[in-house]
Amino acid sequence: MRRSNTILRGVLLTLLFLMGWAACALAGNKVDVIYPYSLEQRSLHTVTGQSTMPLYIDLTSYDIPRPQEVDISLELPKGFTALDKEGWHDGKARWRLDANYGRNFDLVYLQARPGTPSGEKSLTVRLRTPEWEEERTVRFTYDAAGATENLEAAHTKKKDNKKFNWYIQSVTLPVDNLGNRDQRSEEGVIYVRDTSLESFRNRMTGDGATNWSAVFNHPATFLLLDMRNPQKDIRMLKFKAQLVDKVTGKPVQGLVTAGKTNHEGGEGGWAGDTGDQWETSALISLDGKKSQTFILPLYIDYFTVLAGDYSLRVTISGNGQEKVQEVPVTIAKKRSIGLMAVGFSFLCLFAVLLQLGRIRKFIREMGARGAITVSLFAAIAFGGISLPSTRLGDLLHAVLGPFSSRVTGLLTGIMSYLLIVALLVLYRKPGVLALMLLIRYMLSCVMFGHFTPLGLLSLSVNIAVLEAALRLCGFFRRKELTGRYMLGVALLLGVADAFMSFVNLQQMMFFYRLYYADWYLALYMLVNGVLYSSIGSWIGYRTGEKLRQVVGE
Amino acid sequence: MSMRQLWEGTDSRPWIRRIGGQTKVVILFLMAILTITIDNPRTLFLLFFSTLLLHLAAGTSIYKWRVLAALLMLGLWGSMFSQALFFAQTPRTPLFVIIARDTPWLGAITGGLYVNRDGTLYGAVQGLRSATMLSLGLLVCWTSDPRQLLGALLSWKLPPQVAFMLVTAIRFLPVLAAETGEIITALQLRSDTKSGRTAIIRHIPHIAKPLLARCLRRAQTLALSVVSRGFFQARQRNTSLFVWNGREKSACGLFALATLAVVAGKLCFVLSEQGMYFGVLRRVYDIAKLYL
Repeated sequence: MRRSNTILRGVLLTLLFLMGWAACALAGNKVDVIYPYSLEQRSLHTVTGQSTMPLYIDLTSYDIPRPQEVDISLELPKGFTALDKEGWHDGKARWRLDANYGRNFDLVYLQARPGTPSGEKSLTVRLRTPEWEEERTVRFTYDAAGATENLEAAHTKKKDNKKFNWYIQSVTLPVDNLGNRDQRSEEGVIYVRDTSLESFRNRMTGDGATNWSAVFNHPATFLLLDMRNPQKDIRMLKFKAQLVDKVTGKPVQGLVTAGKTNHEGGEGGWAGDTGDQWETSALISLDGKKSQTFILPLYIDYFTVLAGDYSLRVTISGNGQEKVQEVPVTIAKKRSIGLMAVGFSFLCLFAVLLQLGRIRKFIREMGARGAITVSLFAAIAFGGISLPSTRLGDLLHAVLGPFSSRVTGLLTGIMSYLLIVALLVLYRKPGVLALMLLIRYMLSCVMFGHFTPLGLLSLSVNIAVLEAALRLCGFFRRKELTGRYMLGVALLLGVADAFMSFVNLQQMMFFYRLYYADWYLALYMLVNGVLYSSIGSWIGYRTGEKLRQVVGE
Repeated sequence: MSMRQLWEGTDSRPWIRRIGGQTKVVILFLMAILTITIDNPRTLFLLFFSTLLLHLAAGTSIYKWRVLAALLMLGLWGSMFSQALFFAQTPRTPLFVIIARDTPWLGAITGGLYVNRDGTLYGAVQGLRSATMLSLGLLVCWTSDPRQLLGALLSWKLPPQVAFMLVTAIRFLPVLAAETGEIITALQLRSDTKSGRTAIIRHIPHIAKPLLARCLRRAQTLALSVVSRGFFQARQRNTSLFVWNGREKSACGLFALATLAVVAGKLCFVLSEQGMYFGVLRRVYDIAKLYL
């Protein structure tokens, strides 16, 4: 028994020893050295004359239970020098690695002096601690002649300062993720999405209003950064975009980093908090081309950004150099006019439906004679306006395209308002206009089968807006209709018709996914709306005055 | 074939004429909702094609086919024309320039006006929506008596006074057309110039007053007649004449459910693009993206 216990103890001890030894054996350092280095991980081998290509050094230590001080020194080929940077001097640096797991990496830019001969070269990186020492050697090809002509070009461009070997050519926004400009949005205008839907969804799913990662992780827009790199350098640069107040020139809230996932919390992501505030940042890599474009996302904090005019300050920095360019931008809240038009139409429909219950009262107040007059006027409007403008309109539309409405508008605008105002002069009561438009619409439904939701919405808008305009100007309360007053009413009806045209066109664009240019909408509203309708209303008033004699017979 | 015969629904096959007005109106309305909901060009084309098949099944005469074809072509061409000018998506391939961007004044206002190839194609696809409704509207028009559709409205509790007004308007349409003709003839005879005595366009501005005056006198006579018979005060109406066939009602119910499903699916998809994404609806999103 005792013997077996001793054997068991021995086995356990051996196992523990082997585990400890294995742990010690696995502990160590990993060194990675790449030259010339590119962010895109392309396998480059050639360094062109006088370019400043980066040397990438990455050191990882694991399972070493104490902090380490590592001295790093570079042994460069003849004619090459390391450019000084923070933490580096004469190609030497000291890094501190944390206990258990430590990692440090850096880029050192190397440059060949003029006259350095071309050929195969090698450089060595030495890492030394009191316990261990390692070195890595990298071979590369140096092509001095390849850069001579570039160098000349660069010198003629920037003779006095060798630092200006790359610069920002232009900044364009907004573009899509492929860098294409959307012609529908003006240049320099960033549309900020309406977040009410997300808010609604989050509240409904119980996430509260704080889970905004889905919103924050989508870029508000992209910008196209055009860089020039005459010396064909390969560099890692930091891109930073900030919104700047136009007056004070100070950065303002609005832009955020990609790591930010909500409004209240800090940044997420593996890198932790970057300390960047009110800016969108990114790393870009010059890959040795003379010109290079970058499509960079801009992230916006939807809660803090305010609509208005700003400057977008784009800063590119790296290796002690910094280039800044500012472009004017406008932050605009994104609102779909089409959707608003449809919403307004539904409101009008709702209002008209509420009033439908009173339709019998309207008819009773008008009496049989009034009701029959309304139906006959509606019949004339249908036969004399709707019928020809629908059928001939198709033909004109084919010939004149969207401009056919200037011709058909003579019928739909002038004739229509002539009939409406003449009838209103004869029967000055609320609801008369609504009844006439309703009968005309129903005639169109029954005769041509035009039972469409769009027609119903347009009818509702026409009824609601025109009745509201007439009530607004006190048309139904006024004792006498003077010429001057009716001129005002005619103009008001023209403006109301322009508004209705806008709503109806927006509805059509929304439902039928059509496009009309802004100037076309304006022209339509001005000519068909204000001009034709006002003329028609005025003629209608004069006609109605004459027809009063017939009513009085 | 006269204009009057063109708009009459007497030469279609009996099966489609027997379909109730309510069914026709409901299908027309639901189809209108479908056409504005669906974006997929193939599905839009299928909808449009289905209306043409209905015309075929309804036995639409050759003459009416010609009219339908002409109206469809004009409508589609109009849509293509307008979108060729105003298309705002990318890419755009200008075929030719109407107003150059650097044209003084007009160029600055319009930002240049071009005929774009891509807009023409886009307009053709989007024009299918109105083409579908035009085709179906004409089918209903050519296969229904106006009384049938009026009956549908009455069965849905249209106030009798409004129904009376509508019938009056329909009844007097040909009378008003004839009176307009008479007024034009009178104006032509009274015209003091030899040139353009027969031109109708010259006399159009002068038609309104005499026509409306006649309307007012007719309304007075009619009102006396109607009031003396007590029709205008009627509160009850007999809707038993316009009973909706049970099978047709069920079919309309099914179609309405299908339309509702399409609209709901599309709405879910649109909302998902705006951030309101729910994983359980992924299949719905797929269907909406591929077919709607």
